[in-house]
Amino acid sequence: MISSIKQIPKHALLILLCAFAIFPLYWMVISSLKPLGEIFTPSMFPSAPTLENYTYAVNNVPIFRLTLNTLIIASVQTVAQLVSAVMAAYALTRWEFKGRGLIFTIFSLTWLVPMQAIMIPNYITITSLGLRNTMLGVILPFTASTFAILSLYSALKSFPKALIEAAVMDKLSEFSILTRIVLPNIKPAMVSLGILLFIHGWNEYLWAMLVNTRIDQAPIQIGLQQFLSLERNEWGALMAAATLSSIPIIALYLALQKMIINSFVKWGIK
Amino acid sequence: MFLSKFQNIKIKDFIRTLNPLWFMLPALFLMGLWTYWPLIKTVFYSFMEWNMLPSSTPEMVGFENYLRLFDHPDFGKALVNTLWYIIGMLPFAVIIPLILAIVTENMNTKAKNIYRTLFFLPMIMPPVTVAIIWRWLFHPSVGVINQALMGLGLIDQGINFLGSEPTALFSILLIAGWKMIGFSTLMFSAALTGVDKSYYEAADLDRTSKLRQTLTITLPLISPMVIYMIMLSILFTAQWTFVYINVLTLGGPASATTNVYYLMYVYGIKNFNAGMGSAAAILFFVLFGIIAIMINQINKRFAFYDN
Repeated sequence: MISSIKQIPKHALLILLCAFAIFPLYWMVISSLKPLGEIFTPSMFPSAPTLENYTYAVNNVPIFRLTLNTLIIASVQTVAQLVSAVMAAYALTRWEFKGRGLIFTIFSLTWLVPMQAIMIPNYITITSLGLRNTMLGVILPFTASTFAILSLYSALKSFPKALIEAAVMDKLSEFSILTRIVLPNIKPAMVSLGILLFIHGWNEYLWAMLVNTRIDQAPIQIGLQQFLSLERNEWGALMAAATLSSIPIIALYLALQKMIINSFVKWGIK
Repeated sequence: MFLSKFQNIKIKDFIRTLNPLWFMLPALFLMGLWTYWPLIKTVFYSFMEWNMLPSSTPEMVGFENYLRLFDHPDFGKALVNTLWYIIGMLPFAVIIPLILAIVTENMNTKAKNIYRTLFFLPMIMPPVTVAIIWRWLFHPSVGVINQALMGLGLIDQGINFLGSEPTALFSILLIAGWKMIGFSTLMFSAALTGVDKSYYEAADLDRTSKLRQTLTITLPLISPMVIYMIMLSILFTAQWTFVYINVLTLGGPASATTNVYYLMYVYGIKNFNAGMGSAAAILFFVLFGIIAIMINQINKRFAFYDN
């Protein structure tokens, strides 16, 4: 009894933080359901919930197309980053070779290079390749990730050497060892890292804004920003578009929340 | 002699010695192409004057761009603002999460998980969506924050949070902090789970107070994580705030919310001044790089590791 009374201030503190975290999202959804006459009042529930804001948003922004674009961009990026990273991490943990330290440093240092420091040359490259306003142009500069390499490096470092040696005795090629022995064993790590990379890809903004603003190729963040600049005061419709834009990522989060939280704890952020 | 030695090596063995290279090739190639080569080009452009039009050619101007940076009126402002962003981020990324993590450490797992799921949600939200939501919350006359403040009788008339000088930077910071707080709390909680409980049992036997235990046992043991979160804030706060600045304030009013990363974008992309943009980029890449190395050294020397 005494211990549960002692817990009250703790819970109060946490509930306060949760309210701070959740209220903006709650307000987004509630505002999107309010009819025009009610949107400017601070009512906590819409008196007569309506979907008219959603109809307006869907008719004025190609939300589904934009969501599909984002899905394609984030998925391709994630797969490319995982493939290039697992191969590099395998090499770094499998063999002792000259220059290993140097290469490790080369990979690690890119962590410090912000997009802003390389955006002008990359912008010129993408333009000269004719890839502006294409999904490929958004994807290409994000096909290798230091974050992924370092994360998989730490996952592979503890991989049992005996398993690999047994495979070498069986005359498996190095590529087969990686795909048939190593990969099945680090599947959980790959999946949890993949989820993080996917969320990063989904939320990428600066680069997409620079090279891809054509609505049928752009990711949803860009479409949303364009809608904002057109309809600066259509608050109901803006909130409806904001809600629609975040539904896929929130659904993913709620479905896999434990896994997502654990992967953030395990790998940190970029 | 050399030839015969060469012939002795079987080609198959030779290919095998290159195995590490084959496996690293995709990552090395992609990073070379999209990170290191552009970085070198940025260094090159920082000594050039060029408006990025295909018809014009870059012209060598030496250190002119760097000198011009220091003369630019927005530069000092961006520098000071960046410092404010970093300092202002520390409560959200370090202080509040640290307190929350310590206070809730012994809570039962079920309650902890529910709280975690909820307060972590902002972290995964798409940034432009977040910007739009907060623009609505901050609305100068009918935003819910202003309505609440007026309802409580704290203010007579709505505050233009994003449009007036003292509040704009704080508002941008609040949005970035809102995203960060759940993540940091989680990182500290994870660090706390790794702390050996027998230290506390010993301290309890000595009748050391809980506060003293926190200061003398908990904090030193999770100091690597504290330093790591401080480093993240210093290195990345200016990058995290970029999207909110670009969507909500465009650096204004009167450069009140601009920061060094936003300035690079304005110089390079908006003003088509590749030289100035590149000079700013290189300057801050080097500066943040030095800071990162320094923090790393501090971490090695002072952080306490429980072996």
